[in-house]
Amino acid sequence: MAAIGKSKAGLDKNNKYDRQLRLWGDHGQTALETSRVCLINASATGTEILKNLILPGIGSFTVVDGHKVQGEDVGNNFFLTKDSIGQSRAKFATEYLSELNEDVSGDFMEEHPESLLESNSDFFSQFTIVVATNLCERTLLKLGKCLWEKNIPLLICRCYGFIGYMRLVVREHRVIESHPDNAHEDLRLDRPFKGLVQYIDSIDLNTMNKKDHSHTPWLIVLYKYLQEWKEKHAGELPKVYREKNQLKDIIREGIRRNEEGVLEDEENFDEAIKAVNTALNPTKISSQIQELFNDDECTNLHSESSNFWILVRALKEFVENEGNGALPLRGTIPDMTADSERYIQLQNVYHEQADSDISIISNKVHDLLVNIGRGGNITDQEIKTFCKNAAFLRLVRCRSLEQEYSEDSDKLKDLSHHIDDEEPDDVIFYVLLRAIDSFYDKYNCFPGWYTDQVESDVIKLKTCLSKLMHDWGLNCMIKDDYIHEMCRYGASELHTMSAFIGGAAAQEVIKIITHQFIPFNNTYIYNAMKQTSVTIEL
Amino acid sequence: MIKLFSLKQQKKDGVDSDKSGSHKKSSAAQLRIQKDINELNLPKTCQVDFPDPDDLLNFKLVISPDEGFYRGGRFIFNFKVGQGYPHDAPKVKCETMVYHPNIDLEGNVCLNILREDWKPVLTVNSIVYGLQYLFLEPNPEDPLNKEAAEVLQNNRRLFEQNVAKSMRGGYIGSVCFDRCLK
Amino acid sequence: MSCDWPGRWCHVQKFIERTGPFAHPDFEPSSESLGFLQETCKLLIIGAGGLGCELLKDLALIGFKNIDIIDMDTIDVSNLNRQFLFRPKDVGRPKADVAADFINTRIPGANVTPHYAKIQDYDESFYRGFHIVVCGLDSIVARRWINGMLVSMLQYEDGELQQESLVPMVDGGTEGFKGNARVILPGMTACVECTLDLYPPQVNFPLCTIAHTPRLPEHCIEYVRILLWPKEHPFGEDVPIDGDEPKHIQWIMDKSLERANEFNISGITYRLTQGVVKRIIPAVASTNAVIAAACSTEVFKLATSCTVPLNNYMNFNDTEGIYTYTFEAERKEDCMACSKIPKSITFSESDKLQDIITYLQESAEYQMKSPGLTTNIKGKNKTLYMPTIKSIEEKTRENLKKTLSELEFVNGQELYVADPTTPMTLTFKLSLGSNME
Repeated sequence: MAAIGKSKAGLDKNNKYDRQLRLWGDHGQTALETSRVCLINASATGTEILKNLILPGIGSFTVVDGHKVQGEDVGNNFFLTKDSIGQSRAKFATEYLSELNEDVSGDFMEEHPESLLESNSDFFSQFTIVVATNLCERTLLKLGKCLWEKNIPLLICRCYGFIGYMRLVVREHRVIESHPDNAHEDLRLDRPFKGLVQYIDSIDLNTMNKKDHSHTPWLIVLYKYLQEWKEKHAGELPKVYREKNQLKDIIREGIRRNEEGVLEDEENFDEAIKAVNTALNPTKISSQIQELFNDDECTNLHSESSNFWILVRALKEFVENEGNGALPLRGTIPDMTADSERYIQLQNVYHEQADSDISIISNKVHDLLVNIGRGGNITDQEIKTFCKNAAFLRLVRCRSLEQEYSEDSDKLKDLSHHIDDEEPDDVIFYVLLRAIDSFYDKYNCFPGWYTDQVESDVIKLKTCLSKLMHDWGLNCMIKDDYIHEMCRYGASELHTMSAFIGGAAAQEVIKIITHQFIPFNNTYIYNAMKQTSVTIEL
Repeated sequence: MIKLFSLKQQKKDGVDSDKSGSHKKSSAAQLRIQKDINELNLPKTCQVDFPDPDDLLNFKLVISPDEGFYRGGRFIFNFKVGQGYPHDAPKVKCETMVYHPNIDLEGNVCLNILREDWKPVLTVNSIVYGLQYLFLEPNPEDPLNKEAAEVLQNNRRLFEQNVAKSMRGGYIGSVCFDRCLK
Repeated sequence: MSCDWPGRWCHVQKFIERTGPFAHPDFEPSSESLGFLQETCKLLIIGAGGLGCELLKDLALIGFKNIDIIDMDTIDVSNLNRQFLFRPKDVGRPKADVAADFINTRIPGANVTPHYAKIQDYDESFYRGFHIVVCGLDSIVARRWINGMLVSMLQYEDGELQQESLVPMVDGGTEGFKGNARVILPGMTACVECTLDLYPPQVNFPLCTIAHTPRLPEHCIEYVRILLWPKEHPFGEDVPIDGDEPKHIQWIMDKSLERANEFNISGITYRLTQGVVKRIIPAVASTNAVIAAACSTEVFKLATSCTVPLNNYMNFNDTEGIYTYTFEAERKEDCMACSKIPKSITFSESDKLQDIITYLQESAEYQMKSPGLTTNIKGKNKTLYMPTIKSIEEKTRENLKKTLSELEFVNGQELYVADPTTPMTLTFKLSLGSNME
């Protein structure tokens, strides 16, 4: 069983974390438990994010916040109380958050991030990831630059009225276990490996009894009739619909008949016929994996190369040599109608081939490590996991804040496709939030902050928006309705909005920490009015 | 657009205007099973029996095959329909100990629509027909009672004799069966 | 309000004291709305688990004070990774009680009433006391039950829905990194029963596979659970499997291992065994937070009209990026729950059951063929007459001659009628006049 120990209170972590261990496994949990998360500003959104990280058991967290608690903070923040008004927000939030999980250690720093960035920017080097809420544009850009240089991921979160916003800034995030929802099986019927051919050749459908015939795994059935088809078609696979139907007919012919000539009920044949549509896709390398092979990091390994890139390079060499253009075999087959014995035999045939592919790659990995003179080992388990997930590797490279904020960014020019329409999509709120930031920069206050100034702020915000769009070279219109709505919000942070972003952001942090599942890239907008959302790269 | 309810009124605690007292309503499962039962279209070899006619969720099905291996026998199945119906299939067990490839000695029945192929559009009627079919065409390929299946596969005569013997309440191997002849 | 302090409600007030172009047409900005949330509005949260804890916090922080929460469960260690109102010391205590205590202590003015009970323990008079019902459940049966209850509370006059009888239901569900939130206006928009197909069916392996041709470790575990346990009764004749009893799981795992070895199957672990036996659904804090928040926002919209509510279903999945899909689930014409607008019929106490049946068969409107009738008397189902099933027909035949008063019918009695001429069981509401010839 897993080597996860008991926590301080003696609670079995296997029990306490059972429901999540089923999602990211013991190794994911270990990654979580050794992580250090920094939160900037214990706003409602900030504490909700931390809550959803402390509960599953991150290693430690640090709250950086120079604010004193105000009445409105206590109004929307579960981790502050009336008694804390006027005192350090960092301190109180840390205390209440710490109660959530005794396995997580909490710490705080009562200081504004601006001054921390000035005086001690190395402070941030200790963290696995930094989460920032409610920072003004100027500070954000500074922080973004600092963390970009240190290669520390940054997640920016914000709730503004009924709009939620997140921006992920990570130079390079590598995912081996992306856990795709519905992945194609890797069966190689189009290019069977030797072990599979040998095994299937040892089976003769014609001579077996009725029971064995109807319990032969469909994979074998399909393979046999596929050979028949190929012989008649110059070795080609059926490709188009008509050809696939012909193959189905051939398989159907193979179903046994009883004494009266009536077709027997052979479920495995039904499954084989169904599989014609899904199991004969040619084995190929996806463009995403091809891109990894062509990446500089793969082609130019160096003594600092990460495990991931060394593995990708070994994978590439395998594909170009032993693999004959294919990835290592995944080595799993789906469940199917079959007797136990032959199903397990078939499963073993796939297992053995996968193991042999892994050992080839493993040798390559060790050779590469020697060649580039890099210290540190790559474990067999890591290589194995990598090979099994070779088809699903993912790389996320976010653009920096600096790139996003540069006025000649092409991405900004593309925004017109999203907003210049009768029914603009939720990207429009990105533009509006940027206009609000310009407003804040200019007036040191959010539009609509004071109820008696909502109307006049609408006009001012409109001016800010026009200027922004002009600077970006956008010649489209944003309806006044949107500007009015943003002024209505007046920077209100409704708790349920914080809770939504608090959940979504925490999950992104977990993805970054565990290197499992795929984070968004790079801007996420949530529109609670319609319960819709959109992701865009900026 | 939907004009929303007039929320802004006080809701009263406890009893309300309707004086008919605590009348419980029929559940969706209940209404659906009523429909199923009322429209049962039984083959002449089948009969359902409700020990308590007010409880439509629990009943028995009696199958008396008039052809095939099991002609002359009488087999009782117990149906338990849960509140999950029709999202979940009814639970069906055979109460008569029977020598049958697809029914084990504990009364478990291997019929696809009772488990893996159940769909809410199916009805009690579908199950009745499925069970009846099991007696006409026992399927030795996917057995629950492996011994019975093997006999059926290798020696139909012997199987026929065994069935007849079991229905008379005799021994097959070391197992004593219930007499279930009509 | 003594427990308030300056600025406490300022985030909420901006939404309800200011209007905007996307507000609901009925919205009127007013400082009184907050008073409504705090003093008048009564909410019921069903479930005090992963979603329930979040819902309670979310709703209490946006101004709702009077909240009832109902849950029949007690706290287990495996809840602590997400049910943040519970601490290790609370293990074993009722979820509803602990959750209510926590919120009442932490949030000044909160008036949360816990019910350590099943939803089925309460009747219509209880559910009618709430303005909105919010569900955080993991059981389809419970969801269908409350849905049926809220639908049955609807009142119609001349086929017209009486708005004041409508109690909206906001429903959330999660599974791993997936979730959904929906708004149901019973009788107006798609209800749980209309969309039953959206719930994935339970995975059940064929019994013959389990018995003789296992291929997966799960098949071996199911063999022990379904076939071996009832045979061997390892912990006594009438002891059912308790998925939380380590001894039980250990026994099942050992036996599963034996079976797996026999067939050369690998992959049996304690975690898998417990997962299969308890049909465990993975769960994390983050998904629950997201879905509960979306539901709470919808409750806020319904209660204040500050913007238009979700129409009517949102799916969420954050395995790959963050994905949401929002759509309008459609009502089903022959929905077992919400399409059955009760039809009125009038009979007198001295009429007989046969008169009602004759009416259903002969009236131009119905022209039924072989109606089967049931009703509910004093909380118990009663089959009145069913012509097609011999055993029932024999036992209920005598009801035909009984008068409606002999049958203990009351005014407003609901009769459920199934007939081949209608796609579903119809509900009739009986107006009972006393002998007005």
